[in-house]
Amino acid sequence: MTLETESEIQAARTAADQMAVCLARELHEGERVFHGVNSPLPMVAIFLAKKLHAPGSVLIEVAGSVDPRPDRLPFSTNDPALCQGAAAIFSNADAYDLFARGGIDLMYLGGAQIDKAGRVNMSYIGEPSAPKVRLPGGGGGSVVMEQARRIVIWRVVHDRRTFVEKVDFVTQSGNLTRVVTPLAVMEMREGGLELKSVHPGISVEEVTGRTGFPFDLRGEIPETAPPAKDELVALAEIDPDGVRYSEFAALRRAPR
Amino acid sequence: MSKLISLPEAAGLVRDGQMIALGGNSLSRTPSAFARELVRQGRRGLTLIKTAGAYEIDLLCAAGAVAEVRSGYIGYENLYGMAPSYRRGVESGEIRVVEHACYSVIAGLRASAYGLPSQPVSGFDGSDTPALSGFLQVEDPYTGKSVYMIPKIRPDWAVIHVQHADAAGNARIDGGPFEDVLISRASEGVILTAERIAPTKFFEDKPERTNIPGFMVDAVVHLPGGAAPASCYPLYDTDEGAVAAFLEASTSTDASPESLRDHLRDWEERDHRTAEARDYRQTEKTE
Repeated sequence: MTLETESEIQAARTAADQMAVCLARELHEGERVFHGVNSPLPMVAIFLAKKLHAPGSVLIEVAGSVDPRPDRLPFSTNDPALCQGAAAIFSNADAYDLFARGGIDLMYLGGAQIDKAGRVNMSYIGEPSAPKVRLPGGGGGSVVMEQARRIVIWRVVHDRRTFVEKVDFVTQSGNLTRVVTPLAVMEMREGGLELKSVHPGISVEEVTGRTGFPFDLRGEIPETAPPAKDELVALAEIDPDGVRYSEFAALRRAPR
Repeated sequence: MSKLISLPEAAGLVRDGQMIALGGNSLSRTPSAFARELVRQGRRGLTLIKTAGAYEIDLLCAAGAVAEVRSGYIGYENLYGMAPSYRRGVESGEIRVVEHACYSVIAGLRASAYGLPSQPVSGFDGSDTPALSGFLQVEDPYTGKSVYMIPKIRPDWAVIHVQHADAAGNARIDGGPFEDVLISRASEGVILTAERIAPTKFFEDKPERTNIPGFMVDAVVHLPGGAAPASCYPLYDTDEGAVAAFLEASTSTDASPESLRDHLRDWEERDHRTAEARDYRQTEKTE
């Protein structure tokens, strides 16, 4: 176990805040949004968006409730404590049925491997019949990625093992619009994922060097808008315990 | 007629090679004590059904009790990452996986609950999962739209941890029900473990709040704390230290039978407090 340096901790905190804000900006007023298990950053982002620009959006979450108003955000995103203050219970099966009817606008998904074509692997590294690594599985993803109107992927690790030329197994694909990482925001275009913006303090070279597929770099790649003051204030208010930091290895053992 | 029995008796209803649907979700309202008792009794060759599972699946895998898992997600979320014993079992070929989405697990259970051989699901077009798992694509006879047919999943047992049950098996779940109502309908038999044994009047006062009617239930175990180290809303939170201790024990050495035994011994006293259930039966008679 290495002791993380103060600068690494600070960099991870900055990246987490930037990612939470980028994810929140993807949710628009009045939309229905869903988050699944193992989704601390999207959960924080949704509450942030609801507090700022999307107060009329409807959150349906995997712990089984609609628009909860918990006193504090739990670290597990399917902790029943999250359901506190909700006026209705809506079970997972209900939520998946709603996806199937086309009733969800936005879902945030993770991914162990993601390729240029926006295909996602959450299942196996290597051959499925004799896998090198058995991953947890896609959860709801392999059907809902085709059913939600928009899919935004987040991943706190940006490296060539994650962003690959071609995934080993397609757990899920479809409807991907954005990918948010600690370095950049990617956007799905006709030819596949391209760089939309690079976070403040990160160079385009660093992003390309840590991505296993090429980007079209003709034209200028803009800088991601950093968290605005009101976004940072709201983040601190809704997430005083630092749930958004819990996905980062460098911060997992750091004092919160 | 009371269906209250002890935890060892209830776990004894499950035979080697049977299929079990486990209630709760991830580290919430998990039938943890029941899983520990299955391990104590040396059960083998089980097929486990769960949309999203963690500790109890990993524990049964660690003990070599599992032949097959059908699930959308097995892992501890981001707090502890992947489920190491499940992972090891699958990678070594000891455990067979039928790759699923949570929704296709639900579809298979619905086929059983609805009395059908299979159930269509939408989605899946851009996924390798149907081909890998042998889910067949058919055309809807009316519209020609293509759908995937998920074969019926009919577990021998649904094992569900609830907050309230009575001796007849009526059960009420507080908070999210997850897939528990569905698995109770889809399975051949139902075993409940319950935080509290309530008088039947508790259910009669609000029958619309009864999630599982007693006639569907085979056995009830009075088991306060039966979900721990997972949480049981609103009574207790996940015991993160205990989850971490289990993970350490099950990964510190390769096979780790000793540390697994220690883990089971640590919990045995709490798991076997079901003597209270018998006391309850007596008090109920005198009421």
